[in-house]
Amino acid sequence: MTNMMKKLSENIFDKLSMDFLRNQVLKNAYGNDDTVIAKLDPRILLVWYLFFGLVPWFSNNIIFLGGCFLLVAVTTILAKVAGLVLFLFLVGVFSQTGYLFLVSLFFGGNAETIIPLLVLTLKVATVSLASITVFSGLDPDRLSNGLMWFGCPERLSFSISYAYRILPMLMEEFQNVLLSYRLRGKAPESNGFIGKIKYLVYQIQVIIHSFYPLMLNTAKRSRTTVEALEMRGYRYAATNKEVKKMKLSALKITYDDLLFLAVSFLWMAIVAVVMSYM
Amino acid sequence: MKKEQATQSQKLMVFVLTMSLYGLATLFTELIPKFQIGLVEISVEYFLFIPLVLAMLFDPLSAALGAATGELVFSEIMLGQFGGLGEVEKFITVTIGVYIAGRLVRNPGNRKMVGIAAFTGTAAQLLMGTLVDILKVQFAVEDFEAVAGLPESVFATEGFAFLNDLLFSGFLFCLLPTLFLVPKLYGKIEPLLGMQPRTESTALPSIGGKMVIGCVIGFLCAVAAEFLAESGFELISWEAEWAESTGSIAVGMVAAAAIAVIVLVILKKKAGDTQVQV
Repeated sequence: MTNMMKKLSENIFDKLSMDFLRNQVLKNAYGNDDTVIAKLDPRILLVWYLFFGLVPWFSNNIIFLGGCFLLVAVTTILAKVAGLVLFLFLVGVFSQTGYLFLVSLFFGGNAETIIPLLVLTLKVATVSLASITVFSGLDPDRLSNGLMWFGCPERLSFSISYAYRILPMLMEEFQNVLLSYRLRGKAPESNGFIGKIKYLVYQIQVIIHSFYPLMLNTAKRSRTTVEALEMRGYRYAATNKEVKKMKLSALKITYDDLLFLAVSFLWMAIVAVVMSYM
Repeated sequence: MKKEQATQSQKLMVFVLTMSLYGLATLFTELIPKFQIGLVEISVEYFLFIPLVLAMLFDPLSAALGAATGELVFSEIMLGQFGGLGEVEKFITVTIGVYIAGRLVRNPGNRKMVGIAAFTGTAAQLLMGTLVDILKVQFAVEDFEAVAGLPESVFATEGFAFLNDLLFSGFLFCLLPTLFLVPKLYGKIEPLLGMQPRTESTALPSIGGKMVIGCVIGFLCAVAAEFLAESGFELISWEAEWAESTGSIAVGMVAAAAIAVIVLVILKKKAGDTQVQV
């Protein structure tokens, strides 16, 4: 039994390695650009998100919220989101409302407390699934183009594109620095409670120390990046309308986009009808 | 002596540097599961020391904006955890906290001041976040006061989380790493971006006057954010009364759909325009 437990925990720690995290993040960013959601126009998706990201907060009807939730659940499945992101979503929803239920029981609440909390849970879940669909299902470049079309600051869309490009490199570099610190140091024994605490403190210390070289390296890299950008006239182009127009001319609304909106609307209308009969 | 006037491209460098480093760190905190010992949550949540260090060494505003953008892009948009309105508040609180800390330090060689600034910045950010959290739950749950045990539980959990975060994460993950990294990086990292190190005579404000104004503006922003949340709360209760009759909800749905269709038509027209002109 203890052997099995040991194996199980080893397995979990295997899964949580740096490479696993990196793969999941990269898969989430680049792995699914052939899905139905990824092919839609980013502007349409952002308008769609505006509805499902805002309206659920303003309703307390369980049928309406349930309808919204079902729809965004279907779109999330269509977007083929990475498993880790869904896991984080579940943990997030529980930590926002599940523990609140436990604590309110402790303060003398009863089973009736569960209904407002169910409403709250449905709201949170709908809004986060809608954002997972849009922000994880879309290609970063298309997403930043869509945001730019709506007049978001150029800085933000630059940050999104840059973040997706630089992240794999940064993660690899961080891992290398971390490993080199581990090679040079000697980790304390992790036996017993005090040993475990010592081990934890050691790990945190290594992480903090490794940010020292990482900061210096990243400073050099960001200087190179900015100088390269300046050479191509980035700051001038960012404020120039002509450049923006050229950049955004690739965006086109097709029948698929309209169909997507129409189907979403149809579903919500059915929900509204059901609601008025209940 | 020359004032520490960073050029535009140097400000962009600081922005890119803070964004990528803090973004990477928040990505990890989002991915690594938290573990709890009883009620005390031990998480590696707080990597705020990274923007704090950089704000003390470089232009505070660029570093603060970079940190907030990095968190938004890396850990929210990339993982699809974008939460809409809540993210705006997080963006503002992180910016203010880091900016205050960066503005307080006139001479990075002065360790006492660095420590006070790190702690003040963290405390300001956490306090604003706690207020917003409490208001958010009040705003999402209908008849908040009527549910037995819920108000007390929210105040208890949020208050406890604030103290826990400040004493545990604030002290261990903000104060100590900042005290360790600032003197180590001081004078080494600035030349990499082509800048002079900050000294007493080249620091941004002449006396404390500007700093006080900055704090007041920060305070006003916090109040404004609070007020916004509160007015949202009133809007909801008004909305709830109005939506007593179920028929009006269906009407609202139709209205929303009509707005969506109008937006769609405008979108199509605009897209057509750009195609004609380009």
